[in-house]
Formats: sequence, structure tokens, C-alpha cells
Amino acid sequence: MQPNKQIIMRRTLNRPACIAVLCLTAFCAAAAAGDKVCFESREDASRVVQKDLGDGLKNVKCSDKTGAVLWWGDPYDGTQPMGDMPIEANYSHGEAVVKPRTEQLNLYPICGVACHNGTFPPPVEADTPPRKLTMHRDIVPDSLNLQHGRGAIWCLDCHDAKTRNKFVDNEGHLIDFNQPQKLCGKCHGQVYRRWRDGIHGKRIGEWATTGKKRWFVCTECHNPHDVQHGERNSGFARLEPEAPPILPKGMDNADAERMGH
Amino acid sequence: MTEHKPSTTPDEGAAAPDSISRRGFVKGVGGVSATSLLGTAALMTHSDKAEANTEWAEWFQGNYRLMTQEEKDEAVARLERRYSAEYDKKVTVDSTPAKKGVLFGYALNIQKCIGCRRCAKACVKENNQSRGDQEIEWIRVLRMEKGDFEASKMSDGYPDSYGIQVGGNAYSAAGVVLEGESYYEPDKVPEDDAFYMPIACMQCEKPPCVKVCPVRTTYREPDGIVVVDYNWCIGCRMCIGACPYWARRFNWGKPKLPKEDMNPKTHYLGNRPRMKGVVEKCTFCIQRTRKGRYPACVEVCPVGARKFGNLLDPDSEVRKVLAQKKVFRLKAELNTYPKFFYFMD
Amino acid sequence: MKKLASFVVDYWAYVFKGGPKFYAWLGFLGLFVLAWLYGNVMQWTQGMIVTGLTDQVSWGLYLANFVFLVGVAAGAVTVVFPAYVYKHKGLHDVTVLGEMLAISAVIMCILFVLNHMGRPDRLWHMIPFIGIYNFPGSMLAWDVIVLVGYLILNAVGGFYYLYKKYMHEPLNNAFYLPIVFIAIVWAPSIHTVTAFLIGTMPARPMWHVGMMPIRFITTAFAAGPALIIIVFTIVRNNTKFQVSDEAIDMLAQIIVWCLGIALFLTMSEIVTELYHPTEHSLGLEYLMFGHNGLNALVPWFWFSTVTMIGSFILLLIPGIRKDKKKLPYICAVLFLGIWVEKGMGLMIPGSIPTPIGEYAQYFPTTIEIFNSLGNWAIGFIILTLLLKGAIGILLGEVKYATE
Repeated sequence: MQPNKQIIMRRTLNRPACIAVLCLTAFCAAAAAGDKVCFESREDASRVVQKDLGDGLKNVKCSDKTGAVLWWGDPYDGTQPMGDMPIEANYSHGEAVVKPRTEQLNLYPICGVACHNGTFPPPVEADTPPRKLTMHRDIVPDSLNLQHGRGAIWCLDCHDAKTRNKFVDNEGHLIDFNQPQKLCGKCHGQVYRRWRDGIHGKRIGEWATTGKKRWFVCTECHNPHDVQHGERNSGFARLEPEAPPILPKGMDNADAERMGH
Repeated sequence: MTEHKPSTTPDEGAAAPDSISRRGFVKGVGGVSATSLLGTAALMTHSDKAEANTEWAEWFQGNYRLMTQEEKDEAVARLERRYSAEYDKKVTVDSTPAKKGVLFGYALNIQKCIGCRRCAKACVKENNQSRGDQEIEWIRVLRMEKGDFEASKMSDGYPDSYGIQVGGNAYSAAGVVLEGESYYEPDKVPEDDAFYMPIACMQCEKPPCVKVCPVRTTYREPDGIVVVDYNWCIGCRMCIGACPYWARRFNWGKPKLPKEDMNPKTHYLGNRPRMKGVVEKCTFCIQRTRKGRYPACVEVCPVGARKFGNLLDPDSEVRKVLAQKKVFRLKAELNTYPKFFYFMD
Repeated sequence: MKKLASFVVDYWAYVFKGGPKFYAWLGFLGLFVLAWLYGNVMQWTQGMIVTGLTDQVSWGLYLANFVFLVGVAAGAVTVVFPAYVYKHKGLHDVTVLGEMLAISAVIMCILFVLNHMGRPDRLWHMIPFIGIYNFPGSMLAWDVIVLVGYLILNAVGGFYYLYKKYMHEPLNNAFYLPIVFIAIVWAPSIHTVTAFLIGTMPARPMWHVGMMPIRFITTAFAAGPALIIIVFTIVRNNTKFQVSDEAIDMLAQIIVWCLGIALFLTMSEIVTELYHPTEHSLGLEYLMFGHNGLNALVPWFWFSTVTMIGSFILLLIPGIRKDKKKLPYICAVLFLGIWVEKGMGLMIPGSIPTPIGEYAQYFPTTIEIFNSLGNWAIGFIILTLLLKGAIGILLGEVKYATE
């Protein structure tokens, strides 16, 4: 799969119309062709192209006002099996699928091969001051002052130093980008347990305990690189709301409800 | 792209003679004799001939709950024909009954809700409500104040000779109160000083709306969903008066539903297009939930505040919420026993 | 059968023998009926979108008139009760006129209900056995029974009485008296059930009070006799039928008593709700003082309060109460005041704010007003015609040919 993506990337790099490095290929092509592109969770990190599934059914319906996906025709479109998840008592054994995160990440195809090429960086002295990242500045606003963990965590606590397109846990096991919950859950255990119970986070599909569900993984909603986002913590940015309902007859405006009570 | 051919169905209205039940006979005779004038008048308002033919038989149908399976199939077939012709696409009207061992429940996390209103809009995308200037939304999101107490207000109280009787910080709303705002329009949600609480039909176990309906057109189905038989409703609006959660809406005029916005997968008791003069409300997306899928509002919530499942299954997410979180019911003092719970993290 | 046929023929022949004033009055009412026809066609074809009703305020002018007219219909018992229980001679002579008023009022109620329903073409769904009749669960089902029953009682009782008078035969009291006494008990019950219709909904705290039935009855027994006094005054001044002074005096006394109790109930409601206003008091506060600039109902509330208190004080004075020239005008003002108190003062603010706290306003549209005025006009036409025939029989001008 990776080689094809590389070829596509090189081809698009030659097209001046598309700023290829920063523009996800599939979505760029779709937007150029006039198809509607909406976002499921985080606006820049969960895009989906609207298409017909046949029989007049669309895969998603989106909001005209905010561009957010409002409705899924097929909740499992574009998903793959979640893979294993540590089992505890009471955990339901329904079929679980996720939408691969890797398809939403611009640099993923070249992560492991372009810069560090599967090797460790040259050894660094322990008291060497950290330097600003020359790449990834669009992803990590302030790498010198990473707010995730308030200075107690840095890049290589989560990203594997050698295989940059994988995460790593404290024992050195590699974690796929499509299973971020295994990484996040190592510190955020309570949230992880509630997510596994279905109380935290989001699942779509069948409501039965044994039903098939598409699970929304952590990074679909939370951005670990930008947890403050200037407005609200937990890595959850504020959203543009949808339009209010129409005023009833007999009311010209909603001023009365906005005055003091 | 869209199909014009309606689904193939048995002959319209041509029930085999020995399948006419006694009730059907009495109903037919009584209906014709008592109300033929009104029926004729109803016909006169429809210019399209095909529509007029289907309307005649539809007008005489009985209450859905009391229909035999054949009558239900006939009614469904009539509706599929009518809707498919009206909306230029293949419309299915499902009539899946309630499943045994299922009691639907809903839990909403008001700690998480950010008031984005996507649930209200997703519901509209799924459930074929009227649009435009006759827009209907089944979900209403209320914005409430978090509570604003200031030292500067301390001297604003209502004094009497022996001290302050009503403090200056009185009338500062804090928490869940009746006077929420519905028409808020900030640039971004959630706002710093507000929290949000969506309200829709609570699917009460003891629904006041069901009790007051003079023709029993709204009733509680075995799986706990309170439904409306739109073809039986007489539009008296007693139920709208009786609902303490303002969950029910009325079709004041002919609903305006554009063809391209119409969701063709419908259920007789759920999201099939309604007509003027009847009541409608949230049905927990009965067309989806009886086939095993989450309601549209649950799926769209971007913060995962909405949880749904089978209250009789101890492993379901909604039972887990009841077990692990502390829930409350809105207006619990009215003893309506809603199956829609609110909780906070 | 022949006698019955001739009764009907003679009755209606007499009704339509009228002078210019009579026909001018009917013509005037006919204008409203024309507007009513237009309004009803619009509402029938386009649906209730032509009204000012919304999901927030879904019970409006039609139901307000309905509730008021049920009271007026019940108020006819103020003629029957003293006549038959206390053997009041003056009222005994005019009982049948009260029954005619009751019939017209119930017909108006039915017209208003038909206007209020979203799907009047589906009315057959309420017929038992053919449709589904949710009795005893639904208060509306109870209301239909009591109203239809009251209409039948008054029609049977009234026309039986007239028929016997027409035939110059004595009444069969074994048949007639039970009807009268059942009607006496039935009359308060129609208004009690209507009060329960709104008072048994916990979702509407302004209505969900125990005193709703008694409040309805007292205002009904003030408004009903007020209209009856006006009608009797017109009858005295325009026909040969002399309604006695005692009849009108007794009715005026009933008004004073019932209006006094009604005002007492209003006062106690205000004190109870506003001493420490809760979220349940919001409807009353909106009605009396408005809310954040939404003041549409405030002038109506104060108008109805002033007229009711003013009429009460004036009617307390015997000199004014017995003055047959002033009394009808006071009654007219009182009738209007109670109508406003029921409509704008009770039915509309019951829905404001909505159960989840939204404040909305309701303004009836022209079509709604046309339909309402038309319903009243039809009621008054029926009342006029029935009264004319009844008076003809009571005067002896209409009687069976062989004598």
C-alpha cells in the first residue's frame, strides 16, 4: 500500500494547482472535482467525501451551515476491523470496526521513511536544550512547551524514535496509529475503561451489546498536540453551532429570552 | 438516479371476500354511512387522480394497533405507493413490530453536551419533518446559565427594616431551571458561562399524552416507544397540552418536504411523511432502532454525550450509565417516569 | 305523527313571520356568516396554518370561546334551578327560553371544537365501536358525552314542553320532571368536566389547580344569567311576551352572588401564587405584568378585572340592580369582561411560558376572528329563531289548529 501512495504523492507534487504536501490527495481530488467534503469530528482531521450508495441513499448528509456530518447512511463505510482490545469482565464482544486514522494524516506515508529513515537520530547529550521542530509546526503549535502533560511529556514518549509512523508504549511495543486507544489508555486509564464500556466517546452502528459498531478512536475527537487550543482543554476545540430553530408566529425576535431572568 | 417505479404490491383494496373481518365490515358500513359527506369533501381537495384513489381507501382505514396483519400490509402498501409517487423515489414503509425483551432507554450526558444542535439537525435529516417556514424540529436544545454570583450585587438586595430579605444575588439562575434559552447564536460553543440541555420526547413509562388522547391514536408500544398513528390522529392537540416536556409538534399546514431531502426508509409509526393536521414527535428513530441501529441523534453527537440501548440488557451502555453515573429525570415530580435520563460525569 | 308534523310546520311558519327589525338583525348576523364561510373554506383547504396558533401556544381563540360558551350553556341552569327547585314563578314561566339558550350555546361549542380540530374529516374516529372512544381515560371523551347529553336533555325537554303547550295538553310530569332535574344536575357537570379538561394536566401549572371547576362554575353562573337578562330585556321590549320583573331580579341576584365568589377565587389565586412566586406562577405573572417586554395580555387582564369588580360593585346596589334600564348594559359589560377573563385571562396564558420555559405570544389572525364571529353569529341566529318560535307558543299565538 505504501509504495502506491508514494507514487501518488510524487505525481501530485508535480501539479502546481495542489499544494500537495499539505493537501490530502483523495480529498483534494474530490474537492477539485466539485464533490462535497464534510468533517465528522475535528474539522481538519476527519474529512469524508459525500457520495451516493445507490437507491438514492447517500453515505453522509452534511450541514450546510458548518460542514459537519449530520447523518450516516452507512455507518461502516470506509472502516476496518478494530483489532484486539484488552478484555475485561463485562466487556461486550460485538464486532468492532474503526475508520483508519492513517488515511486522514497528511504525512503518514512518508513518516517512517522520509526523514529518519528507520534509524535513530544521532546521540544527544542529556543537558542539550531542546530545539524547535523545523517540520510538523502545523501539527504541534509549540513543541518547546508541549501542554500535553504540562511539560512532563515530550514527543518520543508517544512516538517511536525509530519507526516514526508508529506509537510506542512504555515497554517498547509498537502501537498502530489506527489503535491510539492503546497508547492513550496507558495514562488515561479511567477514561479508557469508560470508553471501552461505551460511556465515554462515540460509537455508531447497532445499539445491541452484541451488535456491530464503528468506534470513534481517541484521535478522531481529541488532538493530543494541542490540548489547550486556547479556548477549552481536554484537546477538544470549540465548534460552530448549527442554526437555531425558527421563531414561532407572534414573535419577531428572541430578545425576551436573552434579557435577565 | 432516482427510481420512479413504486414497489410491487397486491391489488389495491381488493381484499379476498372471506378475509373481511367483522370489525372491518362494521367499520366499513359505519364509516360510509356516517361520514361519506366528509369523505367526498376530502376528495374534492385533491386534484391528482392517482392520489385521490389511494386517499379514499386510506381515509377509511382503522387504528393501526387494531388492524389485522393483512390490513396492516394493505395500509403499508398504499402508503408506499403514495409516497413513492409523491417523492419520485422508491419509498419503503416498514412495519416491524416491537421485539420481545427490549425496552429502549436513553441517557444524555449534560456534562459533555456543548450545545452544537447537531442532534436536532440530524434528527431532521432522518425523520422527514416539514422544512422552511414551517420547519419542525423534535429536539430543542436549551441553554442555561452556569451561575453568576458577584460581590457587587450584594447591596442590590431588597431590604426591610430588620435586614436584607431578598439578597442581591437572587434571581441569578444557576443550574437547570425552567427559563432556558432556545435561540442562542454564538460563534462557537460551548460558551464559558453556559451549559446546554437538549430535550425531546422522554418516552415516558406513564405518558400523560397517551392518557388524554380521545381516540387513542398515541399509545405506548411494547418496547417502550410512545408512537402516533398519523392516519388516525384527529388533531385535537390534547396531547400537546398534556406533555410536560413540550415534546410534541403539530403540522399546522401541509408539511413542506422537498423531494431531495426525503429519507425513503420509513416506518409506519415513525418517520414516514406526515400530513396536515396531525401531531408528531420523536420516536427514538423507530425505523432504525427496530432494525438494530442507533437513533440519528446518538450517532451524530460530536462529543458522545448521547447513549442509547436496551434497558433490559445489563451490559448495554445505557444500563452501564445507570450503574456508574448518577442520573436524574426531568420533572420527576410529575411521575411520568421517563426513559430518557440525564447524567453528569 | 301528524300533530308533530304540524307542530314543526307551524313553529317555523311563525318564526319567519317577522318585522323589519327582525330581518335586519338576521341580515346583520348573516354578514358574519358570509365571512365565516370564507374563513372555514380557507381553514379546511389550507389547514390551521391560517390561524395564529403555534406549537408554543396551540390552544387559542377557538378553545377560549369553547370554554366560555360551555359556561354560558351551563348558566341556563340558573333559570331552571330556581324555577323547579324553589318553585320561583317568574322563572318558571321562562324556563323553556333558558333551554333554548342552552341549545344554541352547545351548538356554538360544537362549532368551535370543529374549528379547533386539525382533522375534522376524521371525526368519525371518535364514534364508539366504529372508531375508538377513549372513555373513561380521556377528559375530552367525558366532555363529549356530557355536552351531547346536555344538548339532548335540553332539546328533548324544551321541545316536549313547547309541544305540549302547542297542543294545549298538560305535561306528563312523570316524563318531564326527571328530564328537568337531570338537566339541573347535568348543567354544572358540563362545566366541571370542561374545567377538568384543562385542570388535570400537570404540564400546565396555571390550570392545574383544585379550584378550577368552582372558578369555572361561578364565572359561568355570572356570565350565563347576564346574557339571559339581556335576552329577556330584548324579548320584553320587542315582543308581547312579558318576562316578569321577579325573573330578572332573581337572575341579577344570582349574578351578584356568583360574581362575588368568582372575584374571591381570583383574589385567592393571586395571593397564593404571588406571595412567593415559583416557576409555576410564571403564567400568572406574564398575564398580570408581562415578561421582558412581552406585554400583549396585560391590558386585557386589567380590563377584565376592572369590569368584573366594577360590575360587582354596581350590582350590589339594589337601586341599580333593579333598574331595568341600566341593568342590561352592566350585564353586557360584565359578559364581555368574563369572556376576556376566560379567553385572554386563562386559556391563552395557560400555555405561556411553554412547559420548558419558552415565552411566546399569540395573536389570532383575521381568518380565526372571522370563524369565531361567524360561530357566534350562527349561534345567535339559532337562538333568535328558537326563541321566536318558543315565544309564539308561550303566547298562544302558535297552537294546534283544531281547538
